[in-house]
Parts: sequence; structure tokens; C-alpha cells
Amino acid sequence: MENPVIIKGNNHGITVILDPSVEYAKLRDFVAEKFRDSSKFLGAAPVVLGFEGRALLPEQEKELLSIITESCELRIVCLIDSDAERQQQYERTLNEKLLDLSAASGTFYKGNLRSGQALTFETSVVILGDIHPGASVTSTGNIVVLGSLKGQAFAGAGGNEKAFVFAIDMSPVMIRIADYLARAADSDRPPEKENSRFFGRQGKEEPKGMQIAFLENGQICLETLNKRIWNDIRL
Amino acid sequence: MGEVIVITSGKGGVGKTTTTANVGTGLAKLDRKVVLIDTDIGLRNLDVVMGLENRIVYNLVDVVEGNCRIKQALIKDKRYPNLYLLPSAQTRDKTAVNPEQMKKLCDELRGEFDYILMDCPAGIEQGFQNAIAGADRALVVTTPEVSAVRDADRIIGLLEAQEMKQTHLIVNRLRSDMVKRGDMMSSEDVVEILAIELIGIVPDDENIVISTNQGEPLAGNDTMAGRAYMNICHRLIGEDTPYLDLNLKKGFFEKIFGKR
Repeated sequence: MENPVIIKGNNHGITVILDPSVEYAKLRDFVAEKFRDSSKFLGAAPVVLGFEGRALLPEQEKELLSIITESCELRIVCLIDSDAERQQQYERTLNEKLLDLSAASGTFYKGNLRSGQALTFETSVVILGDIHPGASVTSTGNIVVLGSLKGQAFAGAGGNEKAFVFAIDMSPVMIRIADYLARAADSDRPPEKENSRFFGRQGKEEPKGMQIAFLENGQICLETLNKRIWNDIRL
Repeated sequence: MGEVIVITSGKGGVGKTTTTANVGTGLAKLDRKVVLIDTDIGLRNLDVVMGLENRIVYNLVDVVEGNCRIKQALIKDKRYPNLYLLPSAQTRDKTAVNPEQMKKLCDELRGEFDYILMDCPAGIEQGFQNAIAGADRALVVTTPEVSAVRDADRIIGLLEAQEMKQTHLIVNRLRSDMVKRGDMMSSEDVVEILAIELIGIVPDDENIVISTNQGEPLAGNDTMAGRAYMNICHRLIGEDTPYLDLNLKKGFFEKIFGKR
């Protein structure tokens, strides 16, 4: 190969592409030479550096880094990792952290959600209104409905199993938390007719009242709010 | 300046066209200058309900495409000189017109008429978008059935998204005997579910079928439905009118006194 070391750059960083077929000891010299040659051209900007093309041991990476800093004026601000496994691990940790944050911070939404309307939030959400049958709310965090929930609610959409759904009038068609799903029992009355005066003269259906849905042992539980549940909730 | 009112429902067969014909007739009876526009291109029938089918020369699509002037396409009603109909085309489909053209048409008619009533097709596709484009106000028609109420909910959501200034509800074909037995939602139930303001309750009345078949709207005559539609018209022009007591049906008296 003619060019065992290639430098690729943009405004904020440079990538050094290394030829995997060349011995490391030789490659080291090529790197030093290349950077010495282009020192003027590269200038003294602060940059982000990344290696590509071949796997490097941590010591090798360190050595190349010091060679580069010695050979030219560039200020290496940080080194980008190309290790796939480590990258994934970082991404996972970051996502988990973001999920936790999303559950802890919240958005307010005012208005009724009507059939066909679907809202998605990257945080927990408080809905000041009703969710009608055929409407749905999705949140990576918790969902609190200060009204009636007659449609669908999906809390912990990113996989947060601590997420919960609360509603003043809880009569949902379906609730999902993380990867679990619960649907309303098949009844002979559609959600519209629940709690309405429709059946009033034959004995009023008691409104189900304030309830909270949460995950427990892989099942979605629906319970009337009490002190014990408050104690168990972890944000 | 005239007001453009769209009559819509989402679900088909709940009485949009009947409501348009009767509200239009009622407003004309109250000496308002009214034009009814049938926006259900390809499935026109407002002309049939109005009994004006045999007078159609030009239609909505002709007006929009510039084949004729608006005046040429407007059909004057048989009974009321201040009531007009702009029929829809039967040989075309909803894509023959777009919302901008409808808006322009509404604005042209506004100067001439007090009320412009748009009879909206069922569904939420282009026909619906065309019908609501120029409207200032919407009347959502529903029957007390879960399917119709669900569709009405969807429609109200879409109207809210389009920032319709005023949306009112008409509960059509209510049967007070069934409500009493608990076999039908009451108008209160429907209002509670849909959470919008009511403007009228029309009872299920066989006279509607007769009037539709004869092409004679019954608004203002002495039937339950006729009175209910007239009340809607009074409320539309801003008068406070009490709701009919649907239990005092003629049939009720007949049952009591007829047996003697």
C-alpha cells in the first residue's frame, strides 16, 4: 500500500486511517512522519482525534497520541473511541440515565385528547383534560391524567419499568408500561357508557375513581391510591 | 357579512343532509337569505331532499372550474325566494375541488347571503377538508349510538386542530322511550362524552322519512322534528330557546286518549 497512514479532517476533528497490513512498529514511524510533514497545514487548532482502520491496544493508542502531539502543534482535546462494544455500553448507560431523567422531569398538556389524536412525550406528562376512547398518550416516563382516561396510555415507553399511570377517572381501553400490556376486561358496555347516566336508572355504576397502574412482578396492577403505593413509588 | 356553517359528522347516515335541508329552510323561514352548498361531490342528494333535482343545470364543480358564473348555478327554492341551493356534481369526485377553491367560493358568497350552509360528506378525507375550509362555524351531527359518537369525537378533534371558531352539537334521532328504558344514551350522556356545547336535539320522527321522500323539508311545521329544527335555527341566530320536552309526543296523548 502506498499510503499506510491517511489523515482525514473536518472543522472539528481529524480521523487517522491506519493500514492494518503494515506492522505496528513501521506504522508508528509513518504516523510521526505524516504529522511532521503536515504540521504547518494542520496548524494549532483544538481538535478531536479518532483512529480507524485497525484495532489498537491501549498502550499503542497512547503512544501514537504522544507521537502526534510531539510531531505537530495540534491540541488533541479528546480521542474518539471506535471500539464497537464499548460504544454500545456507553450508549446504553447514557440512555438509561436519560430515561431516569425523563421520568423525573415533566410536561404539562392542557386539553382533551379526542379519538384519533396521539401524543408522545420524551418526559413524564400531566394531562389537564380527558383522554377519550380512540386517543392515546405515550411517555418515556409517567403519565398523570387529571381527568378521565378512557383511551390508551403507554408509560415508560423506553423500557422504564418503574413508570406508572395515574388517572382521576381510570377507565382505559389499554394500558402499557415498558414491555407489558393490559387491556380492559371484555364487558358488554363500551367505554363511552361507563360511568354515564345511561344506565343510571337501573343502578348507577360507581366511577372507578382515582387509580394508579404500575408494574409488579411482570404484571400491570391497577389499584386505588393509598399510602402504601405512594411509599412504593420510585421516581 | 354572511356566516359560513359546515354541517358534518364523520359517520355516514346520521342526518347531515337532512339537517342541512331543514336548518336551511328554517333560517329562510326566519327571513334570512340562505344558500345551501352540497359538497358531497359524486354522491349528491341534498337536491333530492330539497326537491330541486329537476332544476340542476350547473353545479359546484362548474362554478369552481369557471364553466359558469355562481348566479347561473344557484337554484332558487320552490317555497322560499330567499333560499338557494348550489348542487354538487354527480359525475366527478372529491378531488375535482380543493380547499383553496372552496374558501374563495365561500368568500364570494359571504357578501350576498346571511348564511352559507355546507353539507359535508361522510369521512375525513378531501371532501371533509373541502367542506370545512371556508367555514366559520361547525355543527356536528351525531345519533346516540357509540359508533356515531366515536366518529363525532374524531371530527371534533380535527375541527379543533383546524382552529374552527365555534363547534356545536346536534343529537339526532333520539328516542325518549328508549332513553327512559336505559337502552339508549341520553343527550346529556352524549354531551358529557363529547364535551362540546349542544345546540339541538332532534327526536326520531317518521315524518322525516316522509318529508325526505317528498322533497319537502319539515322545519317549522307541526311535527316534533319540524319544531326541533326550528329551535336550532332560533339558537343559530342567537335567540335563547328552551329545549322541547320530547316526552310530550303526540303519540303519547293518542295512547292515553285514543284508547277511550
